[in-house]
Amino acid sequence: MTNNNYPDIIFIGQPNCGKSTLFNAIAGLKAETSNFPGTTVKHTHSRVNVQGYILNIIDLPGLYSLVPGDEAEKVALSHLFYEKPDLIINVVDASSLARNLELTLELIEMGLPMIVALNMMDLAEKKGLRIDIQRLEKELGVPVIPTVATHGRGLKELLEKAIFILKNGLLVKPLGWSKDVEDGVYRLEKILPSNFPVVANRRFTAIKMIEMGSHYFQQLLSEIYLPLKQVLDEVKNQLESSHDAPAYEVVAAERHHLAMKIFEKSTRIVRPAKRPFLHRLDDLLMHPYLGYLILGLVFLGFFFIVFSIGSPLEELVLGPFEQLRSFLFTNFGQGMAVSIIDGLLQGIGGGLGIVLPYFIPLLFLMGLLEDVGYLARVGFLMDVFMHRIGLHGKSISPFILAFGCNVPAIVSTRILESRRDKIITTLLIPFIPCSARTTIILALVAFYLGPWWALGFYLFHLLLVALIGRVLSFFFKEPSPGLILEIPELKIPSLKNIGKKTVFQLRSFLNFAWPILIVGSVVLALLQSLGIDRILNYGFSPLVVKGLGLPQELGVTLIFGFLRKELSMIMMIQALGTNYHQLMSVITPAQIVIFTLFVSLFIPCLSTVAMIWKELGRKIAFLSVALNLGVAVIFSFLAKSFFNLIGMI
Amino acid sequence: MDYHRYIPLVSAPPEKKLKIIEIQGGHRLRKRLFDMGFHKGDEIILDMRGVLRGPILVRRVSSDTSVAIGRGIAQKILVEIIGDEQ
Repeated sequence: MTNNNYPDIIFIGQPNCGKSTLFNAIAGLKAETSNFPGTTVKHTHSRVNVQGYILNIIDLPGLYSLVPGDEAEKVALSHLFYEKPDLIINVVDASSLARNLELTLELIEMGLPMIVALNMMDLAEKKGLRIDIQRLEKELGVPVIPTVATHGRGLKELLEKAIFILKNGLLVKPLGWSKDVEDGVYRLEKILPSNFPVVANRRFTAIKMIEMGSHYFQQLLSEIYLPLKQVLDEVKNQLESSHDAPAYEVVAAERHHLAMKIFEKSTRIVRPAKRPFLHRLDDLLMHPYLGYLILGLVFLGFFFIVFSIGSPLEELVLGPFEQLRSFLFTNFGQGMAVSIIDGLLQGIGGGLGIVLPYFIPLLFLMGLLEDVGYLARVGFLMDVFMHRIGLHGKSISPFILAFGCNVPAIVSTRILESRRDKIITTLLIPFIPCSARTTIILALVAFYLGPWWALGFYLFHLLLVALIGRVLSFFFKEPSPGLILEIPELKIPSLKNIGKKTVFQLRSFLNFAWPILIVGSVVLALLQSLGIDRILNYGFSPLVVKGLGLPQELGVTLIFGFLRKELSMIMMIQALGTNYHQLMSVITPAQIVIFTLFVSLFIPCLSTVAMIWKELGRKIAFLSVALNLGVAVIFSFLAKSFFNLIGMI
Repeated sequence: MDYHRYIPLVSAPPEKKLKIIEIQGGHRLRKRLFDMGFHKGDEIILDMRGVLRGPILVRRVSSDTSVAIGRGIAQKILVEIIGDEQ
């Protein structure tokens, strides 16, 4: 995996078992975590020093089994199979032990040294599961360490055990199945040619040959190893006729029964007499009617909380910056140096006054909703609408991620199996208002025109997503497979967790967006003092003035908007040569709405375009840009005509 | 098989213990459901039914965990009613 001699430790487990949380607890904040299945679609590497030992630790996307379904799973498997790790840490959700054990059994079949980290022990205990660790260890034949990653419990023991095994090795033996299945596997294993590309070990390879249904693989096999193919077919037919099920299911069922047996032997269930409070709350949250009412209220609450925290702060921060600027102008005149310092002040002030007051509470509340597990409930409630607009049930996860940031949402479309679904979902994602755009909607539309305007704007945005989805799925006709979404348990939020996550996401603004904003503001100031902005504005004027009915000066901000959308919005004040108190004297409310609408839609931000290009190729990236541009022009123009009609312009 | 005792999960009554008899569907769907912990013979409970042909919420008895399943898929899961929840 890496070119040095440090041992590689792979973290592997089913989705939402807390792998990334455990990984972060060991490596520091490196991987994105959430209480929402399928957040990790790429692997994360980190090097840690444990008691003087340097270890390479790798966090892989969640896997249900070692036979890959989607692309994210394939990534995980290629790591596991071809770059033999020195140790596997199988992270298991103790509260869902029976199902998680199926993957554990499959990993044991690989025969590599491994440890089971029995995570979420607190949740398991709350659910009344009493797990006998020693018994489980004995049944599985590998060490089991109980952990609670969110509180850092059990990490020390886990790492100590890891180092112990790295030093002393561990023999992992597969657990036996029913006789006829074992016989079939053995028969195949025995005749594997010595030069056959074996994965992990011969038995494991034989099992996987039975489980793999791929037509390509079968074809290849019959061309290269015809006798082997004949035996494989015989074994499969035998299993199929005696079990009355496809061969791969026979094998999976063996694992399932073994997992259930081990679960029953090692666990006692003490069910609480009353349905726990969180379950009863869940009944309300997912209620067929009340659920939607609650969703609406949560959305409204979210909006107004962020606004009522942000707007007084915005006022508080921008005031002193304005004073500083007017002090600058009255004392030092209008020279180029002054312009540059003024640009600097605007850039710093914009980040501090316009973005952060809204962005921080917004990230925090989003983290809260996700940490309690509400996002998966939103997925459940929204699925019906997703189908109305012709979309795949699985697309709900990328969509929900997109409200945070479009870029990881596009990466996460890897969980979709068909290219058609990937393309439609990817084309729609840039229309979803991400946290940065929501911030701008609040800081400009809500701040200047009132929160109801902002809310209406936001809802219009969502309606637009539905409309475009409907149109797109009309062009890409194909039945879409349905939803299967794991609904994680509701849990009491951990402030520490949410705080960490907020900081994690804030970093990208502080390290990337804010510096660009500051540089951008200085560049704009420079352009203005050299008079170059007028040339650019003139070039844009057919669109900006004729098409959208906006002041000509706003043209130049569109260039910056391609880097990050919020730049255009923040730099609007600077471009108009005014300050935030007097903004409304040079621009009308309708113009603010039209401009915000246009900027919010006109092009996916640079990082999003780059990610689309990387994931789906140049054509789709250009298609996405063209689609956004088209939609932005059409709807901004419609908005202008509407405002004209009601006499607001 | 005595099919008339069996009903598709989508039209099963809520809050009754159900046993999965068969999953009618292609390799892909069967594998997905298998991976998510739905096997022949497993016991499940239908907890909630969304409005307007929305998904249904199913709880696995063995692990007490919930999964949302779209109607189309629930149509393909054949179950038998085996008793009340408790």
